[in-house]
Amino acid sequence: MAQISPSRHGGVDPWRDFDRLRREMNALLGNFGSASPLASGHRGVYPAVNLYETDDAYVLTAELPGVAGDDIRVLVEGNTVTVEGARQVAYADEEGVSLHRRERQSGRFRRAFELPAAIAADAVEAVHRNGVLELRLTKTPEAQPRQISVKAG
Amino acid sequence: MTEAHELQTREKHELEGEGTRPGPVFRPDVDILERQDAYVIYADLPGVDDRSIDVRLDRGELTLDARQAAPPDAGWRPLHAEYRLGSYHRVFRVSEDIDGEAVTARMNAGVLELTLPKSAARKPRAIPVRPG
Repeated sequence: MAQISPSRHGGVDPWRDFDRLRREMNALLGNFGSASPLASGHRGVYPAVNLYETDDAYVLTAELPGVAGDDIRVLVEGNTVTVEGARQVAYADEEGVSLHRRERQSGRFRRAFELPAAIAADAVEAVHRNGVLELRLTKTPEAQPRQISVKAG
Repeated sequence: MTEAHELQTREKHELEGEGTRPGPVFRPDVDILERQDAYVIYADLPGVDDRSIDVRLDRGELTLDARQAAPPDAGWRPLHAEYRLGSYHRVFRVSEDIDGEAVTARMNAGVLELTLPKSAARKPRAIPVRPG
């Protein structure tokens, strides 16, 4: 018998569920919009990512809790970035240990992203902090905005 | 080992009406183990550091609250978002055999490990049998 169990919250409120569904649909439609620079159809593909842009770089973040830095591989080629690795959730199979609840998944992952501009492969910074991978992908000089000075005629 | 399994992204489970803080509140995924001397809870809390967690044990309820340690840099322009940032909240019912004073918490790579030792009275004890 489980001695520790997550508490349930209240009853079911169909309107609340409907509202949540509507918001999730909007979020999904937003994500799949044609404006998205990443390949569409990410649903279910691991890991989910967020992409940001600065003048000189793209910043790609992914939540990878419990994945050791050594278990993540990042490959950059042209304007394609590939993130692959494995998340290992394993518990010692000792006598007297029982698993009451199992929600955390383990397995392998591999995902490639095509960025809107070319990346300088030798200037990629990868930091894995608090279970979040942060890739700073510097654009090639040709892909960075340039300030054009205007001279008086 | 489930090494061959391909991971799938799951929508974060958002909680409704938890809000004392701005932003969404998510229910973290957990594993719960029982060892002979303790219960152990592992909770996925990506983006949370060891100073952003609050664990309380009160009248048989263990409450876990955590918040993102660092929001995205203000200078980053969002291009594409597949996951949302927010805080985490989950409540566990705990049996009375927990030694509340001895609960320990440890963060490692965005995973919280909570160890709840059973009180001495409830641990299985080996009774030595002497030859008669």
